[in-house]
Amino acid sequence: MARVTRAGRGVYAVARGEEEADGHDLVYVAGPPGNTWAFSNGRVFRPIEPGRDAARPHVPGTVQLLTAPMPATIVKVMATPGQAVKAGDALVIVEAMKMELSVRAPFDGVVKAVHCREKEIVQPEQTLVELES
Amino acid sequence: MIKRVLIANRGEIALRIVRACRELGIETVAVYSDADSHAPHVAAADRSMHIGPAPALESYLSIEHLIDAARRSGADSVHPGYGFLSQNPSFASACEKAGIVFIGPPASVLAQMGSKIAARRLMETAGVPIVPGETPRDQSDGGIAAAVERVGLPVLVKASAGGGGKGMRRVEPDGDIAEAVQAARREAMTAFGDGTLYVERLIPRPRHIEVQIFADNHGNVAHLFERECSVQRRHQKVIEESPSPVANARLRSRMTEAAIRAARASGYRNAGTVEFLVDASAGRGAERFYYLEMNTRLQVEHGVTEQVTGVDLVRAQLLVASNEPLPWPSASVTQRGHAIEARVYAEDPARGFLPQAGRILLYREPRMPGIRVDSGVEEGSDVPLHYDPLLAKVIATSATRDEAIRRLVCALREFPILGIHTNIEFLIGILEHPRFRAGDLETGWLDAEGASLAPAGPVEVPGHVQAAIAAYESESESQVEGPAARPDPWQRLREWRA
Repeated sequence: MARVTRAGRGVYAVARGEEEADGHDLVYVAGPPGNTWAFSNGRVFRPIEPGRDAARPHVPGTVQLLTAPMPATIVKVMATPGQAVKAGDALVIVEAMKMELSVRAPFDGVVKAVHCREKEIVQPEQTLVELES
Repeated sequence: MIKRVLIANRGEIALRIVRACRELGIETVAVYSDADSHAPHVAAADRSMHIGPAPALESYLSIEHLIDAARRSGADSVHPGYGFLSQNPSFASACEKAGIVFIGPPASVLAQMGSKIAARRLMETAGVPIVPGETPRDQSDGGIAAAVERVGLPVLVKASAGGGGKGMRRVEPDGDIAEAVQAARREAMTAFGDGTLYVERLIPRPRHIEVQIFADNHGNVAHLFERECSVQRRHQKVIEESPSPVANARLRSRMTEAAIRAARASGYRNAGTVEFLVDASAGRGAERFYYLEMNTRLQVEHGVTEQVTGVDLVRAQLLVASNEPLPWPSASVTQRGHAIEARVYAEDPARGFLPQAGRILLYREPRMPGIRVDSGVEEGSDVPLHYDPLLAKVIATSATRDEAIRRLVCALREFPILGIHTNIEFLIGILEHPRFRAGDLETGWLDAEGASLAPAGPVEVPGHVQAAIAAYESESESQVEGPAARPDPWQRLREWRA
């Protein structure tokens, strides 16, 4: 492992080689151990958040939970239980920081249940709509 | 001279106004919602007043709460900043009625320029070219849809009270008109409290170039040159610069003259911006430009104009609102060098630019010559989900455009923000892109080609970053002793010295 010198709170100088003359790179680190954020030369490094970053392929004949993408306020709920929808149909409109985003059906299917109502504040990964194909 | 300003805003612009006031010996009153009680702008001001719960409609957009706060704090004036109520004529007239100076144009000018029908008619009369379009009298969803059909697709459906891309939707020839109209209206209601819409024909591949204007109460109207803001994502400006890489002396003089005509025709007062769409497809010397809208307030990107002209626009706003003449001799202002601004947003480019909320765990601004950072957050700040995701503006100034770009890239590479995702890596990607370097810009570029600049998928963590994380984690584990184990030197202090 490379030689690391603490250069300040959350700042680390990491040696590029064995010799001092080889130089070093600066890295900034913060966050709880195991869930850290790091920054070096304009780039941020972050462990992949399971479920948030991975694309979830849909298996036909199963129910998929459509979740809130971020902390947001529900602006409008278009989906009603039992409704048949096409891929790309807007089911719920959420708003955060004054920008609206549509939660859309990822495939053709039937709305099994709706778990949100207008003006409600929702958290990431909270289920908004259950969709069945 | 005004003596105490209530700042009806938050974030970086509230801090910017506090600093200008302090230089002039003017007292400041910050306002804050429940979500902002620990925000930097509240600490920076001389006084602060709570104005309601977190949702903007019940706090920063509540005229009643703001006027009440101004009265109770003894403020003689209100600076609205940008966004929120800055272009709202009801707010300006409520201030006027309460005997409070509104730092901006009179309510009648806000109303006229805020109403697109009136503004377009006025611009036509003043000889300023306008984009073909329509503001229908029938404001029902059906009425707007009919106007869309008349103007002819593709169009933009825009909020009459809008700005900054909020409450605006583009409709393509095969697009869903009804959904666009409803979305634009809802967004306009939330952001501006006014759901009136209008329709404009889409100018293909336009550049966005705007002219800073300033007028005092003594008949002086001046311009402070142009800014180019063609790098936009979904109509939100991302990078702004002055001078425009495409403006030659002739185009510059045509545009600044049109902007002065627009300002004079409207009876303008204080700082404003005349935005133009520029069609540069016919080549150099044959550019056509169209009046887009007048922003009757200070702009987010005012800093680039300050950097190239040396004029402090907020200071000038405060002086002009106090009935002083324009604080610079006429014809003395020049464009010196080149300034470029990058807007640092709390958003995640890897996940569709979703706005991010959360606590900033580490935040270190770049410090280097020719770099200015206007920011509204600090280490430990909580970024609430209720407001605009702008965290900071980084402005680089240098002799030439190339040097300014290089300087800005260096600054962004040394601007660690940890705890929430930001667009910093994306900004660097734009600044290093050959088309940006060449000044070959148009407002649709970032939404089309620029999407590939957003990082996607898992990345390999370089060895030196892994080494630093390992050092950090082992250090965190070794710090097991609690605060009680360490003696507190402050407890033993009895006497103080200067």
